[in-house]
Amino acid sequence: MSLRLTGVSKTFHTNGPKLVLDEVTLEVEDGHMMVIVGPSGSGKTTLLRCVAGLESVDRGRVEVGGRDVTQADPGDRDVAMVFQDYALYPHLSVRENIAFGLRARKVPRADIDAQVAEASAAVGLEGSLDASPNHLSGGERQRVALARALVRRPAAFLLDEPLSNLDAELRTQTRREIRSLQRSLKTTTLYVTHDQVEAMTMGDTVAVLRAGKVEQVGTPEELYEEPANVFVARFLGSPPMNLFPPGLLGSAASTAAGVRPERISFVEQGSGRFDGTVDLVERVGGEVIVHVRCGDGVLLVRRDVRSAPSPGDAVGLHFADEDLHTFDAEDRRVG
Amino acid sequence: MLAWPYLSGLFLLVALPAVAAAVLAFTEFSGVQAPRFTGTDNVRRLVADDAFWSSLGNTLIYILIAVPLRLAAALGFALLLHRRSKASTLARPIAYLPTVVPDVAYVLLWLWLLNPLYGPIAGAFGLTGLLTDPWGARVALPLMAAFQIGEAFVVSLAVRRSIPKSVYEAAAVDGARPLFTFTRLTLPLMAPALALLALRDVILSLQINFVPALLLTDGGPRYATTYLPLFVYRTAFRYFRLGYASTIALSMFVLTAAVVYVQYRMAKRWRVLD
Repeated sequence: MSLRLTGVSKTFHTNGPKLVLDEVTLEVEDGHMMVIVGPSGSGKTTLLRCVAGLESVDRGRVEVGGRDVTQADPGDRDVAMVFQDYALYPHLSVRENIAFGLRARKVPRADIDAQVAEASAAVGLEGSLDASPNHLSGGERQRVALARALVRRPAAFLLDEPLSNLDAELRTQTRREIRSLQRSLKTTTLYVTHDQVEAMTMGDTVAVLRAGKVEQVGTPEELYEEPANVFVARFLGSPPMNLFPPGLLGSAASTAAGVRPERISFVEQGSGRFDGTVDLVERVGGEVIVHVRCGDGVLLVRRDVRSAPSPGDAVGLHFADEDLHTFDAEDRRVG
Repeated sequence: MLAWPYLSGLFLLVALPAVAAAVLAFTEFSGVQAPRFTGTDNVRRLVADDAFWSSLGNTLIYILIAVPLRLAAALGFALLLHRRSKASTLARPIAYLPTVVPDVAYVLLWLWLLNPLYGPIAGAFGLTGLLTDPWGARVALPLMAAFQIGEAFVVSLAVRRSIPKSVYEAAAVDGARPLFTFTRLTLPLMAPALALLALRDVILSLQINFVPALLLTDGGPRYATTYLPLFVYRTAFRYFRLGYASTIALSMFVLTAAVVYVQYRMAKRWRVLD
């Protein structure tokens, strides 16, 4: 079932009015996963909470499976949510945690047992059903939270930065598992994160949020290759896109331009677009991030470690015309 | 070194009198002549003493009414006032206020409120027998104490506020209605604290009825509010049977320990105490 937000606005009034969601319109197609990504304070979690019904919306409409749930209670929206801190019920066992929503809905006991067994098997928790959440690791707690969400077979999953409390290795593993689980269940999912790697690897579509406004919605490839504006271009990609001041590359005086660090190659001095001197070489696994000083600015270049220059080297920098992104005076993409 | 003043005070003012009372419990002592060891005479007298059993019954009735009432009131106010709002901020000290009123002043206020002739409660509700009828008095005194929720309210408030908001939000998304949330979430999560508060309140209730029983009803009508502390006081300082009074006090200690043990076992069995 699809999930649609139309013109959703929300203002908080603590310490004066603050607009946190500004006419947000989004649609997650049936069975797809949309990742909402944005910096801290961009309104991602508030957006998710508005969909869950944990925050009211000031204006706009929230639909789950074509049903208007804007005014519905959280329990009547047919959505399940995984919280950032998992929000497990600490006094209940894993089994009781998973079954809690079914008990609340007065599902017959036999059905509860079957559904709990199915959900716990899906996340690999069969052996820990009688354990207390307090005795589980972060990764296991995360699985309990996931099982609790999927046991109800809701129309949509809402996941609020579910990996943020896990260590790097577990995060990668769990990311893969959530994605594969979502694909096999084909449940419409809205996933919030501030981590662009999660956004780019998990989402069928990605929505970039800034200051309560949707900056761009598209597939990860579209967002990366054709960012709608300078913010999206700089926000997605690590290290961020290099930006050149207007007029520097011979284009219109009001047009800024940018190029991704991995699209720049090193050439002989004088034969590329710029000449510069290597300031710093940062090794990131098998790759290096090379900081090249060109006049007043610094360009970042991402290359394989084997083709990396050394600090102090004089280098030429080159990139193809098709790798150049250009933006107008309002920072919107023009090419 | 710094603990010496405290330890000295504890020894001189608590431990020594307690041991002395335990020893005196097996003597006949009027306070004038030297104590005379009488073995278990006092215990046998106590078991056969109708006045003791009547006081014990009154005390248990007081506890049975006062403890659940006070605990329910503390929990109720904590649930009502745990949210951050101007009204809650104003109401919290009001809920605590009866606890800080001195006992004598508090009792005198209730003496006026419950006065069968001109008291407002008698006037408004026609309840004229609350101090003159034995069962009226048995109910009125613990009811009066139910307003002094004090520490139980503060502890309940702190415990309720320590439950993460996200747990309630998860329950709301899970489809839990308020009653389900209360019985399956709030109450179990607060249970360890409530169990401890109940233990503490039982111990407290065995003792705090002395002032109202003395000033409000003088143990009456027809001994209905003669609780164990008042019984001890009268035996010791009206009849000067200090040895026998110590035996009654010792029985209070045994009773307190027994009640605490039973509650502790129940709490362990229900897994509300780790």
